[in-house]
Order: sequence, then structure tokens, then C-alpha cells
Amino acid sequence: MKTIEYLSDPGLRSIFLPGVLAGLAIALFGGVLSVFVVMKRLAFIGQGISHAAFGGIGVAYVLGFGGAAAGAAFSAQLGIVFLFCLFAALQIGFLSSSESGRRGGKGNAQADTAIGIVLVASMGLGSLLLHIAEKNGRVATVSWESLLFGSIVSVSEADAWASGAVAVIILGGLFLVRRPLTFWAFDEPAAAAFGVNVGLMRLVLLVMLALATVTAMKLAGVVLATAMLVLPAAAAVQFSQRAGRVAALSVAFAVAAVVTGMMLSFELDWPTGASIVLVLAALFGAGWIKGRARGRGWSRTWQRAGSR
Amino acid sequence: MIRDAGTTSGTAIRYESVTFSYEGGAEAPALERVSLDVRRGERLGILGPNGGGKSTLLKLTLGLLRGYSGTIEIEGLAPDEAAKRRLIGYVPQRVEAELSFPITARHAASMAASAGLGPFASGRGAREQADRALSMVGASSIAEKPVGTLSGGQLQRVMIARALASRAKILLLDEPTVGIDPAGQKQFAELIQRLHDELGLTTIVVSHDLRTVAATSDRVACLARTLHYHDSPEGLTPHVLAEVFRHDAAAIFGDLHVDAHRAAECSHDHSHDHGHDHGQEHGAQGNHGGGS
Repeated sequence: MKTIEYLSDPGLRSIFLPGVLAGLAIALFGGVLSVFVVMKRLAFIGQGISHAAFGGIGVAYVLGFGGAAAGAAFSAQLGIVFLFCLFAALQIGFLSSSESGRRGGKGNAQADTAIGIVLVASMGLGSLLLHIAEKNGRVATVSWESLLFGSIVSVSEADAWASGAVAVIILGGLFLVRRPLTFWAFDEPAAAAFGVNVGLMRLVLLVMLALATVTAMKLAGVVLATAMLVLPAAAAVQFSQRAGRVAALSVAFAVAAVVTGMMLSFELDWPTGASIVLVLAALFGAGWIKGRARGRGWSRTWQRAGSR
Repeated sequence: MIRDAGTTSGTAIRYESVTFSYEGGAEAPALERVSLDVRRGERLGILGPNGGGKSTLLKLTLGLLRGYSGTIEIEGLAPDEAAKRRLIGYVPQRVEAELSFPITARHAASMAASAGLGPFASGRGAREQADRALSMVGASSIAEKPVGTLSGGQLQRVMIARALASRAKILLLDEPTVGIDPAGQKQFAELIQRLHDELGLTTIVVSHDLRTVAATSDRVACLARTLHYHDSPEGLTPHVLAEVFRHDAAAIFGDLHVDAHRAAECSHDHSHDHGHDHGQEHGAQGNHGGGS
């Protein structure tokens, strides 16, 4: 088995182990976070955030923090990308909030357009800046494929540590606010009427989304980064209707998808990000068919999540 | 006009000259000089047409909207402060919750009680309160069901249980009979009566439906931008109703043929200012500049 070889051989291990560990960390917090993303229908917002990251990547490369940066350059790169994600998350997230929606009556339409604009503007900016960085010799060659679809060998030891730190922040944060956050996600106006700070809940979730997206960026790339923030819960709700069980299933699916996807990737020499995403999609498909067969209407959950 | 003789001890909610305009709303304010005392332990109905400011008043009371002038005090506290202490048990219109959410009725009913708990506190107390509240509203048998599988009436009971479990002494219900069949509406009125009798709750039912308000209230406040009337439902004369509902005559009289008929008759008997044929709301609107 190549998997064992890759993770036991000292030379290969240093290349692959950071990616594996980062993937597992992402699976842990992505599994839980995705429950809220699916329920609050933030899937498309997640797409906007991850594409905004591409603009950040472009800026980082032009400033000379691109590629396999280490130390301060690594921090700078991560910080710039995070700022882009955070800006997009807050901009889009608060446009789509029901409060502004009610005031103007057009909140969702505005957010929809905003995501569309942020998405293409960031991609345009990112690709232009990467082109300039390459031309000016800031970086030898830009690996477009790796940036767009991720690559396990691009995940450095520092990335793995960053993923672990983000896992602690997100899981810890979710534990602290789990009750008001769940109430808010279930019934926002009522939560506000019972004293939940709904603006804070939205902020917390959006910041977590931005953090999670940045972390998943190296492994899964701009295009696939949000898969781990949407698919695990979308699959899990097909199998249960109890919050605790859905969260547990969601994490289990995410971890299973990372393990299976990486093994497929190692054994068959498939791209890692794509393998993981397709395993998740297959899990979702299985649940969807099962739900259909039982005549349950839970597929509407994902339809809503996907159409926004 | 009935009021407590200045005693704040008997007042659950006090509105004093409340005026509110929406941002950018160049026209007439949504609410204008609304003064009303909700007494502790009473069953109050707030009746008004769609667009008459009912939901604005509700949001102001719950602290969901800010920037009003005048005074709103819930047990002597400002609305946001009252919301933090969960003084008002809000029962929303059922459409607002995310029903595909993977939670059971019991979990939904415990949310208001547990939302204020610290992260390390046990949720057992809140779950027990939710169970008690569910049994009080006759919904124990559906406690384990996912919310997405509940009927409109069942869901409403769960929402009422959620408010009861929060230990609020004031129950505020927004359009509670929308989408509920007549049998369910009757059960709902009985439930409100029972909660009022057994728990001594103050109940406020906000609705555009005269029947709902009449069946659940001892006193009615008629709201159409400003307060037109507040007293017992029996004292609601057709022309008061006509005045309140002139913007919405078709909507209300459409399902209240008897009253519409009576209203029309009355308008012939008395020659009041507003004694128009209520079937023709445009006639009435002309007199009042139609500020809706």
C-alpha cells in the first residue's frame, strides 16, 4: 500500500504528513461548522468567501509572499488571504442578513448580486496579480492547478499547525456559543426576542467561515475549499433529524471522506482535493437516494442550500 | 378608555405616546402617539389591519426595532433589557422558523430556556422545563418528533411551550391563527384561556382577525397607525371597526360577512362622520388622506 509507504518513509512523510494532519483537522471543524452553513443557507456565501481568497493570494504573490513561504512570509501570506476572506464574509454576510433584508426588502437579492460580483472581481484581480508576480520574477512559476484545486504536497508543516490552531479556535468557539447559535440558526427573530445577540452570532459564524476557508485553501484550492463546509452536513441531514446526531454524523462523514479521499489519492495517484470532494459528494448522493426512497422530503434542505 | 389609576404595580407593559417611523419612510409614521397600559394578568387583543403597525409595535416591544420616541416599559424595563431577561414569551408566526432544521420538538421547546445558560452549565433544567411546558400545552406525545414533521397546530403548541419554558410571565402571540383550521383555532382559544387561568399569565394576541381576538381577549386595542380604541370586545362597535379597517375593509369583511352586514346597517341608522358603506373603502379613504 502506497499510503503506508508515504506515511512511514521518513523522506516521504515530511511531504505528505502535514497534508494528512491538516486534512483531518479541517474535517473535524468543517463537519461541525457545515451544520450551521447548511442550515443558515450560507453555502453560496462560502463560495464567495473562498473565491475572494484568490484575490488575497494574488496580493500575497505580488508582495513576494507567494509559494511555499516560511516564517514571517508564511504568516503574511495567511494574513493577507484571511483579510480578503474576512472582508468578503462580512460584506456578503451582513448584506444577506434578515435585518437588512427586512429594512430594504431586498437583502437577499443584494447579497446574491454581491456574491456574484465579489466572486468574479476577486478571481480577476487574483489572476492578474499572479500573472504580474510571475512576470516580475516574484515567483518562479505559478501553479494554477494547485491554487485552484489544491494539492497535498503544497501543505507545509506550518500549514498543518495553522489548521490545528484554527480547529481549536472553531471547535472551542462553537462549544462556547452552541446554545444561542443553534437558537439563532433555527429561528432568528424569536432568538432575538429572547435576548440572543443575533448580530454577534452572525459575526461569529462568518469569521469562522473565513478562518475555515483560509485553512482549507492549500489542500483543496479556491474552487473546492468550501466543499468541507457544506457537504458533510448536507449528507448528514439525510440520515437523521436530531441535532446532536447530525453534528456527529457530519464529522464522521468529513473524517471518512478525508481518509478515503487521501487513500484513493495515494493509491491511484489522483488529485487529493478532488478525491475528497468526490467521496463527500458520493456520501451525499447515497443519502439523497435513501431519502428519496423513503419518501422523506429532506432533499429540500440541500436544494435550498445549493440554490442560494 | 379604561386605565389603571396610575398604579404601575398592576402594569405589565406601558406604552406612552410611542411614535415610530421607518428609516427613509418619508410618509406618515408607522405608529403615532400610541399609549396603552397592558395590565398584569389580563388577556389583551391587539386588532388591526395589515400595515396598521401591529408588527411594528410587536418588534418595538421585543426590542427588535429601535429608534422610537415615547416610552415603552416592560415591567419597568426598556425593551432590549426585557428581552435579555426573557420577560416576554414571544410566539412568532410559524412561517419564520427554519423547519428543515434537524431538531426535535423537545429541543425546539427548550431553546429559549437554555439560550441564556453559560457554556458549561447543564442543559438538564431547561430540558425539564421544556418537558413540563410541552405537557402543559398537550404536546408531550410529539416531543421526540422532528419539527419538520409537525402540523401547523402542533408546531404552534411547541412555540408556545418554548415561551412557557423560558418562564416568561407575558405571552405575546403574533397572528396565532394564520394557517390554523377552525377546529384548531377553537383549541387555541381554549389553550390561551387555560394558560391564563392556571398560570396567571398576561397574554397579548396580535391579529388582523376579529374572531381570533374576540375569542382570546378580555380587552381589545384597535391599532391602525394610532390607537383607535381599547376596551372590551363587546364594546367594539361596527363603526370603530370600520374606522380601524378602512384600509383593509375587503380583507377583514371578506371573512366576516355578518359583521360587514351589520356594519353596513349601522351606518344607515347612525349618521356618523365615518358612517360610510363599508363595502366601499375608497370612499372612506378619501376623507382621511389615506395614510397607511
